Amino acid sequence: MKITLKLYAALGKHLPDHAVRGEVEIDVDSGDTLERVLVAHDVPLEHCHLVLVNGHYVAPSERAGKVLEDGDALAVWPPVAGG
Amino acid sequence: MNFNEQQIQRYARHILLDHVGGTGQSKLLQAKVLVVGAGGLGSPVLLYLAAAGVGTIGVIDDDRVDLSNLQRQIVHSTDSVGMAKVESAKKTIAAINPEVNIVALNERITVDNALDLIGDYDLVADGSDNFPTRFLVNDACYFTQKTLVSAAILRFDGQVYTFKPHQKDDHGNALPCYRCLFPEAPPPGQIPSCAEAGVLGALCGTIGSLQATEIIKELLGIGDSLAGSLMIYEGLSSEFRKISVKADPGCPLCGENPSIIDLSGHGS
Repeated sequence: MKITLKLYAALGKHLPDHAVRGEVEIDVDSGDTLERVLVAHDVPLEHCHLVLVNGHYVAPSERAGKVLEDGDALAVWPPVAGG
Repeated sequence: MNFNEQQIQRYARHILLDHVGGTGQSKLLQAKVLVVGAGGLGSPVLLYLAAAGVGTIGVIDDDRVDLSNLQRQIVHSTDSVGMAKVESAKKTIAAINPEVNIVALNERITVDNALDLIGDYDLVADGSDNFPTRFLVNDACYFTQKTLVSAAILRFDGQVYTFKPHQKDDHGNALPCYRCLFPEAPPPGQIPSCAEAGVLGALCGTIGSLQATEIIKELLGIGDSLAGSLMIYEGLSSEFRKISVKADPGCPLCGENPSIIDLSGHGS
């Protein structure tokens, strides 16, 4: 099945070369969890501070068990602490 | 509270607003806000709170004004280079609104002073530039039950949040704290600072002004609080997003079985 992976700001460097404007359609296995997809794309989990699926917030404690579905959009922002 | 003629003139455009009026302006004149950091975000926050007539503004920062700050830290000026940032900010604010009582604290917020310091104020605005301070301020605000309006910036992007885990939303649901969203700081050195990665100067004005607006809303109790949501701005794509977030029952600070029961886990 296919999902859209969107990685923002400095996380964009983990996207494949053919990504356009920070997002790319990727193939994932049925039953894949959000964290498994991120690990497969070498996205460090400790840099995934804000995670949305289809625009809805996924709390840190829910990410390991969050199973993705065909057509989902997974969006991830890194931590920001500048002032 | 009775306004004098000068106050009526100075705050006329606020007093005209249905949501502010004379009652709201009186609340602002009596309000006490602590601003953590007199840098890129602290600058617009301090300027707008002072212009709005917030009665007492505490500002804490142990840094000195550097020439490289002036591209974005608009509360400081060229003739303040080398001066303590809090003294520089005090000078600028006094010129904008001499009615404001500025408490200039030329020090860092630490585990030793955080609770006493924050306890003196109605609300805290975090514009600090590092994760340890952000976690300390969050935890101290939680223990003192103070509302925290926080913002963060890097490169072309910014985020704004309001945290009041001591209150419930309109449906009786718990509101999150900073640790509900971000349980732990990333490993030191892995996330660049503005000094390392850069930041667009005007972004500080965009995000700091949003932060100041949310602070004034909280002080007046008007509109929809940002608590329970966070706002993200992406400068390069000119996009704002408001995302609903929720309290985490497993939060180590405000969750059902907290492991953080005081500030002792923070370094001095």
